[in-house]
Amino acid sequence: MTGARVGGRRRVTAHPVAGALFVLPFFLVVVAFLVVPLGYAFWLSLSSRSLALGTRFTGLENYARAFTDPVLLDGLVRVALFGAVQIPVMLGVALAGALALDAVKTRFAAVFRLVAFMPYAVPAVIGALMWGFLYSRTFGPFADAPTWFGGEPVDFFGTSWLLLSLGNIVTWAWTGYNMIILYSALQGVPRETYEAAVIDGASQVQLALRVKVPAIRSAIGLASIFAVIGTMQFFTEPHVMARFAPQISSGYTPNLYAYNQAFAYSDFHYSAAISFALGFLVFVVAYAVVFVRRRGVRP
Amino acid sequence: MTNSRVPVRGGKALSMLKRLGRLVRVLAAGGLLAVAGCGGASSDDGPVRVSVWAWYPEFKSVVEAFNASHTDVQVEWTNVGTGPDQYAKLKTAFTAGKGAPDVAMVEFQQIPTFVILDALVDMGQYGANDDEPLYAEWAWSQATDGDRVYAIPVDGGPMALMYRKDLFDRHGIPVPTTWDEYRVAAERVKAVDPGAFVASFGSDGGWINGLMWQAGCRPYGYSQAEARDRVRIALTAPECRKVFDFYGDLVSRGLMATDPFFTADATAALDSGKYWTWAAAGWTPGYVAGSLKNTAGKWAVAPMPQWTAGADEQGDWGGSTFTVTKQAKNPEAATKVARELFGRSEEAWDVGLHKAFLYPLVKEVAADPAFTGKPYEFFAGQKVNEIFVPVSEKLDEFQYTPFQDFVFGELNDRAAEAVAGSRPWGTVLEATQENVVAYAEQQGFKVDR
Repeated sequence: MTGARVGGRRRVTAHPVAGALFVLPFFLVVVAFLVVPLGYAFWLSLSSRSLALGTRFTGLENYARAFTDPVLLDGLVRVALFGAVQIPVMLGVALAGALALDAVKTRFAAVFRLVAFMPYAVPAVIGALMWGFLYSRTFGPFADAPTWFGGEPVDFFGTSWLLLSLGNIVTWAWTGYNMIILYSALQGVPRETYEAAVIDGASQVQLALRVKVPAIRSAIGLASIFAVIGTMQFFTEPHVMARFAPQISSGYTPNLYAYNQAFAYSDFHYSAAISFALGFLVFVVAYAVVFVRRRGVRP
Repeated sequence: MTNSRVPVRGGKALSMLKRLGRLVRVLAAGGLLAVAGCGGASSDDGPVRVSVWAWYPEFKSVVEAFNASHTDVQVEWTNVGTGPDQYAKLKTAFTAGKGAPDVAMVEFQQIPTFVILDALVDMGQYGANDDEPLYAEWAWSQATDGDRVYAIPVDGGPMALMYRKDLFDRHGIPVPTTWDEYRVAAERVKAVDPGAFVASFGSDGGWINGLMWQAGCRPYGYSQAEARDRVRIALTAPECRKVFDFYGDLVSRGLMATDPFFTADATAALDSGKYWTWAAAGWTPGYVAGSLKNTAGKWAVAPMPQWTAGADEQGDWGGSTFTVTKQAKNPEAATKVARELFGRSEEAWDVGLHKAFLYPLVKEVAADPAFTGKPYEFFAGQKVNEIFVPVSEKLDEFQYTPFQDFVFGELNDRAAEAVAGSRPWGTVLEATQENVVAYAEQQGFKVDR
């Protein structure tokens, strides 16, 4: 159609138009579901609606408030601490699992792969509810276990255990997922490199650590970026577990805080500022992870 | 039915099953609405359709009764979730300017919040002030502001003490009539059975609020009719403080458990002799009869222990109303629905009392021998409403702030810190007061203390 109209210059102009047409659906989706909501959230965050005074433009005041809000800062520290422990544990177990799966070629390996992946298929809400019951003193099998050896029962919802209890749920849900990512990456490594290493006399452990792990470094990096982003947005598990654990306060994680600001305290503007700032922080941290990883690859 | 902490609310233990049931009901309602919508679109002079959001169990029969008895107005009911779930959707709809129902169920403590969000219609302009004599005074005063009627009361939760009559009798422990006696009872329970507790400090904003109410504590003051931007917050008054001192003492001495109410753990503890009492509400008889099967027949209800011997101070835990939203297409018809869904409808109250186990705030219904004289098998045939009804009659005024979610959230968070041992009990109210005042000022209020 376009070609018929522009005649002889078709080869020059038709390509950009056709290209634009191909890109258009994607572009529309990005605008509708990414640019517009982000712009709207940013615009919301620039004004304040105080209950008594109504809505007024306040510029960056919400951001100033956010970065001096002790509840939000506590939440950030809590989430950082959580990630610092949970992410290495999860990725470590996932990597070990992936390497084991790659080394063992039996029918059992295929079954194990499926079973390990299964928790990821369980919706996070159901998973959190399920663990809520497993942690229970009355119904769960774990809380009273120490008493068999004369110890004190464990209060999984108590202050000292809470982050670990939550970390366990997240690890349970996501380890299999990460394992599959790493396992798939291992499948892509040319087998010849293994053979070469074996001929050079490498043991299975050396093969795993010196050949396989470096070969899937980029997949590990990808998994860690996803894990960092997921941790910064930590929401579902604490939100669901709050019904069992009063220690989970309304600002336990930054995302939970943003949710409560909007839907409990009706402050959509401050909530938008928190969310936007959090999104920016995720971007910075994720970029930092990429940067560190690149530097790590070079030597 | 109940009210509670911010993120979640009552009926938690059964929530999974309930959610499934609710999903089925919502889907069914959606199907019905689609069919009804087709029929309604074709004729202009058909009945006015009023959409209602409410989460009562058994509400379907109430709606059917209403629709059968009205030809001019028809109700289209949707259950969008309990308490906070529904409020989140409502607040989003009000912010967006569309999407709210005509009539929404709202708990008492939420009314000032929705009023200041400019979300509710003053039903006084459609004659709702005529209903004042129908309802318990305390409920009417919470639902209204001057002659503005923001809500029509439906159910409440006058408080009384549920206790294990068999265990108290067997060990010769007198049923406490004062809080001092309650403390002694707590010690004796522990002495008799080291694994048992007199009760649990349930981490529920509405429950703590009821206890503060009963202690004569009136920490909040707000009237939009008088001043939109003026609020009173006085959480550190001695009447409020004595509640926290008392329970803090019991909890820190290990005489009181700390499981949150309505969790599977708390329900199992009530049903196994681990808890011997529960300061409960008028809606509790229905709730416990459904969830505590093992100990049915072993419980009894006594009036709440008093702070001063011989006094008659009472509190309320929970309660809800029907409101008309500013987005209602036909506010007059919506007002009619809010007033008459329960109102004096015998059919509706038959369902409300005997199936949904609501505590009625229509005085006539509450005083009816069919209610007061109803024996409960769960309480070994005791006519427990004989205790709850005078409590509701005795209740006096109690106001809430226009940001009660924040206040309950703060109270819960600070109390949770005290329970965990990271904050002295004596500072729970100070810290809450300080944070709430700062929040109120940040929201543009002038704060009286």
